[in-house]
Amino acid sequence: MNRHWPRAFGVLVLAAATGTAGAAPTYTVVPAQSSLSFIGTQQGEKFTGVIRDFDARIAFGTADLAGSRLEVAMRLKSIDSKSPDRDQAIATTDWFDVAKYPVATFRTLAIRATPTGAVGDAELTIKGHTQRLAFPFAWKAAADGGATLDARVTLDRLDFGLGTGEWADESMVGRKVEVVVHLTLAPAAPPPAAPGKPPVAKPAHP
Amino acid sequence: MLRSTATTWGVVTRLFHWGMLLLFAGILSVGYYMTDLPLGPQKLKVYALHKSVGLTLLALAALRLLWRLGERRPLPAPMPAWQAWAASAAHVALYALMFLVPLTGWLFNSAAGFPLQWFHLFNLPALHASDPALKSIAKELHETGAMLLIVLGLAHGAAALKHHFLDRDGTLASMLPVVGGRR
Repeated sequence: MNRHWPRAFGVLVLAAATGTAGAAPTYTVVPAQSSLSFIGTQQGEKFTGVIRDFDARIAFGTADLAGSRLEVAMRLKSIDSKSPDRDQAIATTDWFDVAKYPVATFRTLAIRATPTGAVGDAELTIKGHTQRLAFPFAWKAAADGGATLDARVTLDRLDFGLGTGEWADESMVGRKVEVVVHLTLAPAAPPPAAPGKPPVAKPAHP
Repeated sequence: MLRSTATTWGVVTRLFHWGMLLLFAGILSVGYYMTDLPLGPQKLKVYALHKSVGLTLLALAALRLLWRLGERRPLPAPMPAWQAWAASAAHVALYALMFLVPLTGWLFNSAAGFPLQWFHLFNLPALHASDPALKSIAKELHETGAMLLIVLGLAHGAAALKHHFLDRDGTLASMLPVVGGRR
């Protein structure tokens, strides 16, 4: 194994330098087949809220974990918890304070491989509170060159200042919230050629 | 004297009658008070209490109806036919509303997409999926039903007082919490 290391290192350096072969491939989300949701508990009953409006920038490849990253921006006005009354309450200052903090963001600082799969060391920012969290996710390559990403993480809503004060009482709304991520990804179109580089060969015009 | 006789209502019937009156008076007062509360956990707690008592009343209504079906009824005091008819109609309507008001409340809660818990002990299923159009219909029915219940309940009470003080018959006494027969 060890004797292959210098060569592998050389390939990585080359890949990083050229930014092409071997670099983590980038993907775009297929919105119709993707969902970002959370499962909360209200008065002893679970409910699911869906964040309909989000953008994700995904680059992932096991060969280039250093160049892999997951970044998501969620517009919280789009939360749908199957109850207009609850959605209205969710937007107030006691909860997400959507008027002041319309967007929640998620990004990985590093992604490492573990025996059970990839784990992101990530940062989640909601309502101005940034928390570090481990983000284990299942990555499955699809035959069409795309992939699916599935993850479940449990958060404590109080870490993000959601429902503090009188709402902190768990008998009405539970503290633990499970976030469920299911992304269907299509391979991103290759970026346009940078200026100064020779253009991609085109078929000759008759 | 658990059971009713030809002259007086039994203890079980009287307990149902006055117990449910107290609960209905309480839940209706809370119902009118709670809607204007500012949004917060306090409001949710008051609503949760309203719903728990409402479910209790629904269960009591079912038990009361079953009990009544197996009971004889005291013979009514002599009265004009229209009064007897009006009394019967009011009783049927009151029984119907004892079911309909809690049930429309349950439907209202379901259509609003809210959970339903009985005194923090267990949860009940939704009668319907979350649906804003159904929610406004159920709300209307729940509020109209509650109003009808108050109006009919007051009329029922006024008629009992009329029997007692004007007709001087034993109709009211046969249902009073203190067990006593018709004079």
